[in-house]
Amino acid sequence: MAEVVRREAVYALTAIIVVIMMVDFFFTIPAISAIAGELRTWATIISTMALTLGAVNIIRVHSRNVRRRAPGVWYHSAWLIFIFAFVLLLGFTDINNPSSNPVYKWIFDNAYVSLGQTWYAITGFYIASAAYRAFRARNIDAALLLIAGIFVMLMNAPIGEVIWVQIPRIGRWFNDVGQVPAMRTFLIVAAFGLLAFGFRTLLGRERGFYGEVAGG
Amino acid sequence: MSQETIWERLQRIDRRVIYWLLFILLIIPFIRPLGLPVSIGPQTISLLEGLRKLKEGDVVVVNISSGVSAWPECLPSLVAVSKVLIQQKAKIIYWTSFVDGHMTFEKIVEKVPGFKGLKYGVDYVHLGFYTGAEPTVAQLATNIRAIFTTDYKGTPIDQLPIMRGVNSAKDVKMVISSDTGDYGDYYIRQWRIPYGVPFAEIGIAMIFSSYQPYWPEIIFGMTGGAKGGAELEKLIGEPGDATVTMDAINTSHLLVIVAVILANIGYAATRRRR
Repeated sequence: MAEVVRREAVYALTAIIVVIMMVDFFFTIPAISAIAGELRTWATIISTMALTLGAVNIIRVHSRNVRRRAPGVWYHSAWLIFIFAFVLLLGFTDINNPSSNPVYKWIFDNAYVSLGQTWYAITGFYIASAAYRAFRARNIDAALLLIAGIFVMLMNAPIGEVIWVQIPRIGRWFNDVGQVPAMRTFLIVAAFGLLAFGFRTLLGRERGFYGEVAGG
Repeated sequence: MSQETIWERLQRIDRRVIYWLLFILLIIPFIRPLGLPVSIGPQTISLLEGLRKLKEGDVVVVNISSGVSAWPECLPSLVAVSKVLIQQKAKIIYWTSFVDGHMTFEKIVEKVPGFKGLKYGVDYVHLGFYTGAEPTVAQLATNIRAIFTTDYKGTPIDQLPIMRGVNSAKDVKMVISSDTGDYGDYYIRQWRIPYGVPFAEIGIAMIFSSYQPYWPEIIFGMTGGAKGGAELEKLIGEPGDATVTMDAINTSHLLVIVAVILANIGYAATRRRR
C-alpha cells in the first residue's frame, strides 16, 4: 500500500512539474515563471550533487579494490586514490582559482591535456582500421554509401580538390541534398516522439523512469 | 590447404600495418608540409558574416562544451572567433559545461594577441563551470545570476563591469557554442527559439552533419572540426593551428580511402570467383 502511495506521488509530482515547465515555455505568467525558475535552479543543484556523488562512488569502489587486494587492479586503484587526494588538496589551496597553483596547473597541462589528446588521437587509428575492415560494397546500398563516404571524406580534405576540382562540389551535393533532408525528417519525427513522450508522462502512462514497464 | 591469393590478402591487411602506415603518413607533413589550398564552405562564410554584423559593446556568450581532448578540432575555431569578436569590439562572456573548460579559456586568451589590449572583467570574462545540462542552459536564459554568482576566479559578478545590465538571454546579442555533444541543441531550444538570440555552432567534425539541418535558418553559421577552423583562419587571413593540421588530414584521409578501395577491389575479385 505504502509503495503504491509513494509511486503515485512520484507520478503526480512528475505531472505537476511537466505542466509547470510547459506553461512556462509557452506563456508568460510571472508566478509560474518564478516556480519554473526555482525548479531549474534545483535541477542544477541536484546535478552538482550528482558530481559529488560520483566522486564519492569512485573512492568507494577503488577503496574496496585496495582493501581486498584485487589481483591486477588494486595498485591502479591505490594510484587513483592517491592522485585524487593530491589534486583535491592542491585545488583547495585556492578554491576559487585552482589553476593559479603552479603544481595544479602543471599536472593539468602536462598530464591531463597530453593524455586527453592522446586518447582522442588514438581513435583515429581505430577508425582507419575499422573503415578498412567494414566498408565493403556487398550490395547496391553499401556501394552507394561507400561512394558517398569517399566523396564526403575528400570534400573534407583539401587534397580532394587537388585530385579533381569537382570533388568538393560532389561531396557537398551528397551532404546538402542527400544528408540534410534525411536529418531534418529524423529531427521532426523525433520531436513528435518527444511530444508524445511528454504527454504520456503528463498522463502518468510513461512509467519507465520509475522502473516500471510503460502503461498502454 | 590452398594458398591465399593477392585478392584475399588485400582484404586482410594486418591492422598493425595500417597503424604504421598512418603513423608514417602523419609524420610526413611535419617533415615536409604540403600546404594545399583549403576550399571554404558556405557555413563558415555565413558564420563570419554574422560575426561581422556585431556592433561595439554587443554582448556575446561563448559556451565551451568541448574538453581539452577536442582542442585539435574546436580550439582553432574558438581562437579565430575570439579574434573576430575582439575586432568587432564585442563584450565576450565565456562559460563552460566541461570541468576543464577554464583551460580552454586560458588557452584562447594565450593564443589571441588581441586580449592583451583588453581588460578582464570589463571587455571579457569567464564565469566558470556549470552542471545540469539543459535545465541549466534554460535557467541561464532567464537568470544568469541564478547559476553564476561569481566568475571563475571567485569575483562576485556584480563587481564585474561587463556584467552590468546583463542577466538573461534578452541582454545577449549572440551565442556561440563549441561542442562535442548536445549543448548546441540545448542552446537552440532554450536560447535561439524562445528568445531569438542568433546562434552559431563550433563543432567537432563528427557532429557537423547533426547541426547542418538547422543551417542557415536557426544556426546562422557553423564550423566543423579542424577543416572548419582552417576555413575560418583562411577567411580572416590569419593561418593558425587548423591550417597546419590540414596536411595531416590530407594524408590520413587519403590512406583510409586507398585502403578501403583496395579492400573492395579484393572483395569484388574474390566474389566474382565464388
